[in-house]
Amino acid sequence: MKFERNTLLVLGLIALAFPLLVGNQYLLHIGIMVLLYAVLATSLNLIVGYVGEFSLGHTAFLGLGAYTAALLSLRLGLPAWATIPLAGVVSALFGVVIGAITLRLRGPYFVIITLAFAEVLRLIANNWVDFTNGPMGLSGVAQPALLADASPLMAKRFYFYLALGLTAVSLYLAYRFVYSNNGRAAVTVRENRFVAQSVGIRPFVYAMRAFVLGAFLAGLAGGFYAHYITFVGANVFGFAFMVSMIIMVLIGGKGTLIGPLLGALLVTLLTEYLRELQELRLSLFGLIVMAVVLFLPNGLMGFLNHRRERNPSDAADGAARAQGGPA
Amino acid sequence: MNPTQQDAPLLTVEGLSKTFGGIKAVQEIDFQVNRGEVFGLIGPNGAGKTTCFNLITGFYTPTTGRVTFQGHDITGQSPYRIARRGLVRSFQKTNVLKPLTVFENVLAGHYLSARQSLLATFFPTAPVRAAERDARDNAARLVTLLDLGARMDTPAYRLSCGELRLLEVAVALAARPTLLMLDEPAAGLNSQEAMRFGGILKRLRREQVPSIVIVEHNMSLVMDVSDRVMVMDFGRKLAEGKPAEVKSNPQVVEAYLGRARA
Repeated sequence: MKFERNTLLVLGLIALAFPLLVGNQYLLHIGIMVLLYAVLATSLNLIVGYVGEFSLGHTAFLGLGAYTAALLSLRLGLPAWATIPLAGVVSALFGVVIGAITLRLRGPYFVIITLAFAEVLRLIANNWVDFTNGPMGLSGVAQPALLADASPLMAKRFYFYLALGLTAVSLYLAYRFVYSNNGRAAVTVRENRFVAQSVGIRPFVYAMRAFVLGAFLAGLAGGFYAHYITFVGANVFGFAFMVSMIIMVLIGGKGTLIGPLLGALLVTLLTEYLRELQELRLSLFGLIVMAVVLFLPNGLMGFLNHRRERNPSDAADGAARAQGGPA
Repeated sequence: MNPTQQDAPLLTVEGLSKTFGGIKAVQEIDFQVNRGEVFGLIGPNGAGKTTCFNLITGFYTPTTGRVTFQGHDITGQSPYRIARRGLVRSFQKTNVLKPLTVFENVLAGHYLSARQSLLATFFPTAPVRAAERDARDNAARLVTLLDLGARMDTPAYRLSCGELRLLEVAVALAARPTLLMLDEPAAGLNSQEAMRFGGILKRLRREQVPSIVIVEHNMSLVMDVSDRVMVMDFGRKLAEGKPAEVKSNPQVVEAYLGRARA
């Protein structure tokens, strides 16, 4: 708990200084994408790591947030400080509806139905031309008025700090949730529903709270994305975003707060670095994910925690038994 | 609470039955548990003891019958509602939160006393922080009380069978039960460990929870800790009474050892 909090504070300070030290627009763009993905991975982790079910439809909430912000901005002319929070709220409301249906399901059924929701939303976005502008997407989402005469570099810096602010809000909410009675109840439900019920926990409620919080954060990220990219198309519901989020959560380590951040950083940088390899890049990612699942089932953070836990005392305790750890 | 309620039985079970298809797992069971009493439930394998437990604690819905706890009809309520009334159980098959440490397991059991609104989760007020501190202090105290102090920060999956049993009891106690129901808490323990467990149970009764229902196969343990014992066989109640009376009941002897040749 202390370790996670202190690490988060140090990472936050580094991030605060980053735009002041870097004057390169491309690097700032990468930084913004890392932060955007940090919010997304954190939100997915609330579901994968704390509800304990694997959602393949998390892009539903990213997309709903992005479309909400874009539509509010284009149709009603609302400014970004209003559209981004509203994007979170709309996603959270959909989270309540989708969660009420999907959280009654377990394992593969949950995976399939969440995927179906994202796919249905993608089809709606593609075909409801009057409302969403169909495959042409919504372009020209307004930038904040503040940036009207700012230089491109200043604009990038502004977006970086906006993204950092969103990341900070997301991590604060996730941190509070995870280290509260709510988070403990969610973990109890994840690990053992019988124990949960016998100490008075109503399982559905806590799965739902984590799910809706995850939806809210993904919606915020979507709202930010709409204003930053200034274009929203049906691809926000697509599988590419989902794959990135899953890889980040798995590599970093589900069920920890720092893991998804680490994952967002590594995967975004690696994606950029491997850009010249093009299609081969995806195969490489596939191999990396396989290796992680096989050799680091709890991700990098699971590996580090395991080391920290074992070094001080009972190193003699059978390593074989330790393998049977968290699922 | 008025005196008549004080004298009324804590738990009353009337005509409790459960059928699974054609199998009558539990038939017409009646019993009462009084305040401050340790009530033992024994019987050969498959006698319906655990089914009885599951019916009372809401994990199964009774086919017929009524369960009353502290004057409230709790028949067929969800397990979490029954737990909130103060009737908390442990499980026969070890059920703990495996990757979590002993302390975290017991802390998780404090769910009810540390409940809070979502708003208070994100913006904790002083009372919320105080409740959180209390839960942590109490969790540490319970772990020590059950002789698990040395294993406080050990993940549950590394515990021995005996330690797991104690941990389960600690988690149940964390929910602050009025009546604690233990389903074979000494299963898998050797006789020496079982004796130690009996000692801990007596201490719990003095310090933590006065009323306990215990299902157990270990005869010497049950007879030692219980005030009254009920014997079940083939889903029916065979006998009920003080441990010494039950031990000499010919029907009970028959159920356990078989009939003597005439």
